[in-house]
Amino acid sequence: MTAISIRNLTKNYGSFVAVNDFSADIEAGTVFGLLGPNGAGKTTTFKCMLGLAAPTAGSVLFEGQPLQPALFERLAYVPEKSVLYDWMTIGEHLEMQRRAFSRFDAGRAKELLALFDLGEKKKVRSLSKGMRTATALCMAFANNPDILVLDEPTSGLDPVNQRAVLKLIIDASAQGKTIVFSSHQIGQVERAAENIAIMQKGKLLVGGSIDDLKAGWKIVEAIFDTDQFSTNGLAGDSRVHRMERTGRILRLSVHTGADALVDELTKMGANCRAVDLNLEDIFLNAVDPATVTTDLVEKA
Amino acid sequence: MPAVFTIDARSGVPIYLQLIDQVKRSVAIGVLEPGEQLPTVKQLALDLTINPNTVARAYRDLERDEVIETASGRGSFVRGNGTAMTARKALSDVAVDSLTHAIREAKSIGLNRSEVLALVQTAVDRWFPKEEQ
Repeated sequence: MTAISIRNLTKNYGSFVAVNDFSADIEAGTVFGLLGPNGAGKTTTFKCMLGLAAPTAGSVLFEGQPLQPALFERLAYVPEKSVLYDWMTIGEHLEMQRRAFSRFDAGRAKELLALFDLGEKKKVRSLSKGMRTATALCMAFANNPDILVLDEPTSGLDPVNQRAVLKLIIDASAQGKTIVFSSHQIGQVERAAENIAIMQKGKLLVGGSIDDLKAGWKIVEAIFDTDQFSTNGLAGDSRVHRMERTGRILRLSVHTGADALVDELTKMGANCRAVDLNLEDIFLNAVDPATVTTDLVEKA
Repeated sequence: MPAVFTIDARSGVPIYLQLIDQVKRSVAIGVLEPGEQLPTVKQLALDLTINPNTVARAYRDLERDEVIETASGRGSFVRGNGTAMTARKALSDVAVDSLTHAIREAKSIGLNRSEVLALVQTAVDRWFPKEEQ
């Protein structure tokens, strides 16, 4: 079942296009990671999903329906910027949650506070940015939601607490919850998420299952005997994302069919190998035409 | 169940494949014994800090390859029947992968067929002294 379906979402702020025809399907019970540089449109996407900003075009459906109040009990959102009240204590925030949400679990809230070493009596005013994030996460997870939308949930936290947040996400996922989260830290997304979307300038660059992306994206490196080798046919090859030749060396960035390509190039007389790419490499290959040398042959 | 698995999340090798490889290796060398229970999907996901559906996918493939079996409600276990065969098969899968990789590397640096065969022969001679033949 599709928990969240984002269809051709576009959001303009005046002449600025924050999100540009972005689509993604998030299956129930999965963890979805939204990646992208600052200003890519991740937060705006979240706001449009949650009705905090009105889409210019496109739609977001939860379990096939537009967002409606009945879902609020089962949905938790932790924004990147803390929305806590400075003058209240952590305990008072939790009490507020208890009154507002029928699914609030007070025992779970205490466990969560202990996990992050947060005291109920602490005033929000005295908390660091990371502790505020942790408090907001405690409030969200204590509500026992079915769908969690977390905008930069590890930002400002030390590595130990970052790992604790990832474990919370993994634990929730093991219970069948649906989690969408954004992060600058590709390594965290690589661990906790199974599906991703990489955004740049509001657009979807690369999306899909991390395992499939890793299985598909490779650098194929071929070394020929002479620098006069022919690349006929490769320029229009649908497997090739980008092609770069320097002297006797041909480097192809491919998103599928690397093994077959290695065989073909080997038959053409090249010494050839395929190199695995991690998610960061895939991201950089997808995003960055900047590794551009003078010999770069850019594909349309 | 000892913590025998290590995952490199930043590797280009998909995490579920790393996990499959490590379970097979552990079975093959006897670190995981026939009948031994594997951690639950949730427990292993939390221990390794990786996505639970990724662990579930690895377990499904290991079941398909007859390395483990899952009794509903009781968990996943290293297969007991024909253990020696399971282990040998698991080991040979791992060995074939490593050999393929090595031969491809040798080819990529320009060694020809007979040079590669000679290298393999030397390696085999080293690990299998004459009297064992």
